[in-house]
Amino acid sequence: MIEIKNVTKKYGNFYAVRNINFEVKDGEIVGFLGRNGAGKSTTMNMITGFIEPTEGEIIVNGYDIYKKPRKVKAQIGYMPEGTPLYLDLTVKEFVNYMAELKLIPKKKRKEAVNEAIENTGLQKVQNNLTKNLSRGYKQRVSLAGAIVGNPKILILDEPTVGLDPKQVIEIRELIKSFKKDHTVLISSHILSEISQICEKVIIIDKGEIIAVDTPENLESKTTENITLNIIVDDINNKFQTIKDEIEEISDIKLVKENDDNTKEYIIETSTNEDIRKQIFSNCAKNNITILEMKKSEASLESAFIKLVENRQEYSQKEINKMQYEKEIEELREEDKYLKEEKEKRKQAKKEEKARKKAAKEAKKEAKQNKKEELSVKKENVGNEEEIPQDKKDSNETNNDDLKKEGGDK
Amino acid sequence: MLAVIKKELKSYLLSPVGYIFIGLFLLIFSLFFYMNIFKYQSVNFENLFINGSTILTFVVPVLTMRMFSEERKNGTEQLILTSPRSITSIVLGKFFAAAIVMIITELFTLMYFAILSYFGKPSIMVAISTLLGFLLLSLAYISFGMFASSLTENQIVASVLTIGVFMGMWFLPYVNKVFDVFSLINKFENFSYGLISISEIITFVSFTLTFILLTIIVLQRRKSIK
Repeated sequence: MIEIKNVTKKYGNFYAVRNINFEVKDGEIVGFLGRNGAGKSTTMNMITGFIEPTEGEIIVNGYDIYKKPRKVKAQIGYMPEGTPLYLDLTVKEFVNYMAELKLIPKKKRKEAVNEAIENTGLQKVQNNLTKNLSRGYKQRVSLAGAIVGNPKILILDEPTVGLDPKQVIEIRELIKSFKKDHTVLISSHILSEISQICEKVIIIDKGEIIAVDTPENLESKTTENITLNIIVDDINNKFQTIKDEIEEISDIKLVKENDDNTKEYIIETSTNEDIRKQIFSNCAKNNITILEMKKSEASLESAFIKLVENRQEYSQKEINKMQYEKEIEELREEDKYLKEEKEKRKQAKKEEKARKKAAKEAKKEAKQNKKEELSVKKENVGNEEEIPQDKKDSNETNNDDLKKEGGDK
Repeated sequence: MLAVIKKELKSYLLSPVGYIFIGLFLLIFSLFFYMNIFKYQSVNFENLFINGSTILTFVVPVLTMRMFSEERKNGTEQLILTSPRSITSIVLGKFFAAAIVMIITELFTLMYFAILSYFGKPSIMVAISTLLGFLLLSLAYISFGMFASSLTENQIVASVLTIGVFMGMWFLPYVNKVFDVFSLINKFENFSYGLISISEIITFVSFTLTFILLTIIVLQRRKSIK
């Protein structure tokens, strides 16, 4: 059993995974779905103890990966993303090395290695160097390295990427066969694969879990109305009348008329309940032969896209809101800045005025001082009897001025 | 640890790396040997290693640069670090594998001793002391090379860093006597005179242990930074 509790992984300010919680029970095969960069590999790396979460707990079969890393790691078979291999070893040497690293006792090792090689169909190439293998085979070698020694928990990061269709089916069958006595967590972005193999799907987007459910539930939850594809042999052209007889049918569209006088229709309904029985009985009443009738499958794919898109819209709204708030804040800041500038200018003006005043006062004071000095000097001069001379001078100049004035006249 | 040693030895000896290392090492040693015998007419085994200690600077990175950088680049680091083996045993495994390649190379140098003892009487005790010193020196160098390799995923950066630091340790004493402390080569010279002193052995061993420990710490710390 894998328990993930409030796990967060942060890189600087970026949340690779944010506060995720989920459980994988014993014997379950769980699919881990998400777009590129959603946080799948980060989560898997944390479960296997390759990286440490910033916050939160990861408990595998009762042991905390942080406190008892070696006990946890001994129970996990991990197939990392991108199939890293030791390129200078042969397939058998590589699987053997993985078995040695996993502390499988020497007696059981040979058997375990052969079993892993057999299960992944690598017998033919077991003595080839891994660097000479094609991508599909490399993928298998990586898988063999993960399953060697039958670990109770398997964590497979995109196990079928790069395989040809036949290999994909084989690997899927292999993974399905683990169901009884293994706990498996598979990440993938091939949705049909997940819906085929897994009993439970965890959808992760932008580091947060947005849905945990069975594939069927996810499909039915996200599809509101069922549409039916139907091919009928309708000689009397009565098929359109069915619409009036069954309430749930909202529309019947003719798709095409076949050469053999059969017609293909699409029936759109307004419920998510199955109304195929009603249609069948109605057709029987009206003498219409049904050749083919099937529910158009709302696939996991559309469910996934819907979930992610809904979230995207939501997050787009959030982003818009954030941008709006940011703009407002910027405007406020600008306002503040302008006000401050104004105040600064006012203050500067005030200061200038004050300075001018001070300067004036200083000048006044200086004048007064001069006057005082002068008066003091005068007093001093008076004491030295120089005033009469001054007076004489002033009288003379006065006389001269008067003379000049008289002359001018 | 044994599993890691076995696998690493395989990678050394199944790829050109090991042979380039041993070949380069012996080629330069033979050149020194030739010059010693024919130019200086000496049957001195130790001189060979005094000269040889300088080429460790350039040869050890060949051995150490790929240790952790390659694993990190290829992603195989995920395989060893998610295995139930402890980081200590992985680091020690890699260290001892490189040490074994080094020891194999040193055993090859015994042929020079054999040739010399055919023509003259080189001292066995001094030769043993020299070989011991040389082994300690090369282990110290390997530990630093391994540490440099754990710092980066680029092998060239790791090797340049290693060579740079070794050259620094080599030439700094010529700048100032103070730096004698850092010069492992100078410390090795005493061994080649037949002097085995505890202080020098401790210096080499503690240098080696320090960088093994630092490598372990780097790998452990990177878990939370990655």
